[in-house]
Amino acid sequence: MELAEPFEMTQPAISRHLKVLEDAGLIARRVDGTRRPCRLQEEGMQPVEEWLVMLRKAMTRNFERLDKVLAALQAGRKRKGAK
Amino acid sequence: MSKMTLTTEGDRYVVVTRRFAASPELVYRAHTEPELIKQWMLGPDGWTMPVCISEARPGGRIRYEWTDGTGAGFYLTGEYIELAPFTRTVHVERMHLPDPTPDNRVETRFEPQGTGTLMTMRMTLPDAKTRAAMLATGMEHGMEAGYVRLETMLGAPSAQR
Repeated sequence: MELAEPFEMTQPAISRHLKVLEDAGLIARRVDGTRRPCRLQEEGMQPVEEWLVMLRKAMTRNFERLDKVLAALQAGRKRKGAK
Repeated sequence: MSKMTLTTEGDRYVVVTRRFAASPELVYRAHTEPELIKQWMLGPDGWTMPVCISEARPGGRIRYEWTDGTGAGFYLTGEYIELAPFTRTVHVERMHLPDPTPDNRVETRFEPQGTGTLMTMRMTLPDAKTRAAMLATGMEHGMEAGYVRLETMLGAPSAQR
């Protein structure tokens, strides 16, 4: 109810939005009498961060190797050019 | 060295940029020629790519198979959509973990910058389920590397005995 107050939306519409957030793991709701207090689940955001960290690690390692491959290609070209 | 940037664009895309001390032609070739790709696109140390298919033409197939040499592995398939030699490629790819992940469209640009190249890759941010599957696979690999390091550490004092 309190969450719906600032919005020009019906209570059922607000509930549907909250359900989407809950299913996505971004908020948690509990039962308190007739109230359904919500709280943010910060850990719901974490998998994106974790995934980005993994991607960054893999790409950093790959590109370091690519630097060496490119250096070898350039060295090969120079040798050919010298002949 | 902070030559690489990795940022999210909205909640749908990931953009990676990286500078290389080589011409766009060489960087482009290293991304499209199988003999070059299999030398660097390997992820954690110790992994190899025994199968690398990259048919660099519109509609051409992509297939990368990785293995850690002890039976663990996974593969990626895809197709090239557009190629503009040495400036831009567009392809779709999916990982098989072993279920195929949703298609990821990847656009890669190669621009001259000074005597080198600025590469920009724009790809789709995978959904939560795909990220979880990729993390699970990555964890396995990361742990594998961790065990090897641990064995090396444990092995060191015993060698002195």
